[in-house]
Amino acid sequence: MCVTIAVIAGKIMRLRKYRDLLLIFVWREFTVRYRQSSIGILWALVQPLSMMLLFLFIFSYVLKVQNSSYPQMLFFYAGLLPWLFFSSALNYSIPSLTTQYQLITKIYFPREILPISGIAVAFIDYLIALALFVVFLVIYQIKVSWLALWMIPLTAMLVLFTASVSIFLAGLNVYYRDVKLATAFLLQLWFFASPVMYSIDKLDMKIKVLLFLNPLTFIIENMRRCVLEDRDIVYWQFFLVGGIVALSYKLAYRYFIKIERAFADVI
Amino acid sequence: MSSDSLIELKGVWKKYNYRETFHRSIREDIFNIFRRTRREELQDGEFWALSDVNLRLSGGECIGFYGPNGAGKSTILKLIASVTYPTMGEVIIRGVVAPLIELGAGFHLDLTGRENIYINGAIIGMTIREIREKIDSIIEFSELSDFIDMPIKKYSSGMHLRLGFSIAVYSSAEIFLFDEILTVGDEDFQLKCLERARWLRNNGRAIIIVSHDKKLLNEMSGTIYHINKGIVSTEDVKASGDTAHHNI
Repeated sequence: MCVTIAVIAGKIMRLRKYRDLLLIFVWREFTVRYRQSSIGILWALVQPLSMMLLFLFIFSYVLKVQNSSYPQMLFFYAGLLPWLFFSSALNYSIPSLTTQYQLITKIYFPREILPISGIAVAFIDYLIALALFVVFLVIYQIKVSWLALWMIPLTAMLVLFTASVSIFLAGLNVYYRDVKLATAFLLQLWFFASPVMYSIDKLDMKIKVLLFLNPLTFIIENMRRCVLEDRDIVYWQFFLVGGIVALSYKLAYRYFIKIERAFADVI
Repeated sequence: MSSDSLIELKGVWKKYNYRETFHRSIREDIFNIFRRTRREELQDGEFWALSDVNLRLSGGECIGFYGPNGAGKSTILKLIASVTYPTMGEVIIRGVVAPLIELGAGFHLDLTGRENIYINGAIIGMTIREIREKIDSIIEFSELSDFIDMPIKKYSSGMHLRLGFSIAVYSSAEIFLFDEILTVGDEDFQLKCLERARWLRNNGRAIIIVSHDKKLLNEMSGTIYHINKGIVSTEDVKASGDTAHHNI
C-alpha cells in the first residue's frame, strides 16, 4: 500500500503543473461523447444492463446453470462493473495518443495526460453504473456489512492496474499500430480469462493459480465476495496482488516516460 | 536591449530517416539504453534535417524563418516547443512556449467556440482561472461574439483560424511561435494580428515567425534566417535598416 501511495504521489508531482489541462481533457472527452445524443449519460448504464440480461438468458435458460446462492443477476452485474471499466478505459486510451498527433507534434505537455483522461472518462461511467448497483442491492434486500468497504481499495487497485495496461499499450501503439488492431481481440481473450460470468470458487487449485496470474481475477472475485457474499478477503492475496499491481504501474510509467521523448518523431 | 536570452540553440543537429522509422526506432531506443550508437554518423537512409544550428533570441525580439518547404523550419520550432530533442547539441528554453498550432489541432468540432477556447487555452498552458478572466477579451478580439455559442463545425475555416489566433495571443507565455499563421482571415483581421504581434514583442515577448511572405518578415522581424536543407544562415541586408529604424 505504501508503495502505491508513493507511486501515485510521484505522478501527481509531475502532473501538478498540468492539472487544469487534465481536467479540461476529461471534461472534453466526457462532453463530446454525449453531445448530440438523445439519452446522453444513460449510455453508461446501457452496456452493463444489456450484457447482464444476455448472461442471465444464457445461463438461466440455455445452459441452466446457477452460479450463486443469491440472484444471478447481481452476480453478473457485480462482475461486469469492473470488467466494463477496464475494457472501456483500454478502448479510450489506446488510440488516444495517435488520434491527437497534431498536438503531439506541435506542443509539449506530459503525454500520459491523454490516456489518463480516457481512463477518467471510463471511471465516471463506472461510478454511474456503481450507483445503479447500490439500487439493485436495496431492491434485492442484500445484507451488506462493513466488509463492503473493501470496494474502495479494490477499486483503487483496479484503476491502477488499468492505468498501467493503458499507458503501456497506448505508448506502444505510437510505434506499432498493431496494438490498436489487436485491442478488440485482446479484450475478448482477457474477458474469458477473468471471472465475469463464472466464479473461480469451485475450481481446482491448479486452475485457480493459473487464473490468478491475471490481477483482474483477484479484483473481480473479491468485489463480489465482500459485497454480495459478505466474506472477508484473504490478506496475503491482497498484499501480493497489490504489490504486483503497484510494480506493474511503476514499470509501465517508467517505460512510458522513456519512450515519450521520441513520440513526435515516430508518430 | 535585453539581458538574458530566452532561447538558445547551440550547435544543434537533428537526424531524421527517409524511410518509415517506427519499426527501427523502438528497437534503437531499447539498444541505446545499453550502448551509445555513434550519433555523428549517418546510417543507411538517414539525413540531417538540421546541421549545426546556432541561435539566440531574447525577450522583445522577433526573428523570421524563411526557406523552401522541407528545409527544416518546422523542425526548429519543434525543438523550441520541446516536442522533439536534438540528436546533438543543446537547446535551452527559459520560459513558457506558446506555439500557434495550426487549424484544427486541439479543437473539437462538436463543441462550441466558447468551449473550444477553454480547451485550446489549456493546451497552450493557461489555467482555467486565467481563461475565465481573459475569455471576454479573447471573444472580442476574434470578433466572433455572435457565433461563440455555436458548434465550430459550422464555422468557416477563416473563423477557425481567427479563434485559434485570438486564444494564442492572450497566452501569458514568454515565447510565441507563429508558423505560417499571421496571414489569417481577411485584410482587416490580418492587420490586427500583426499589430497584436508587435504589441507582444514590445512587451518583452520573444517571437518567431515562419513565413514565405518576405515582405511580412521584413516588416516584423529584426533578423531573417534563411533555412535551406537544414543549414541556417542569416541575412544581413535587413540588419542595417533595422538599426536605422531603432535610432529614430
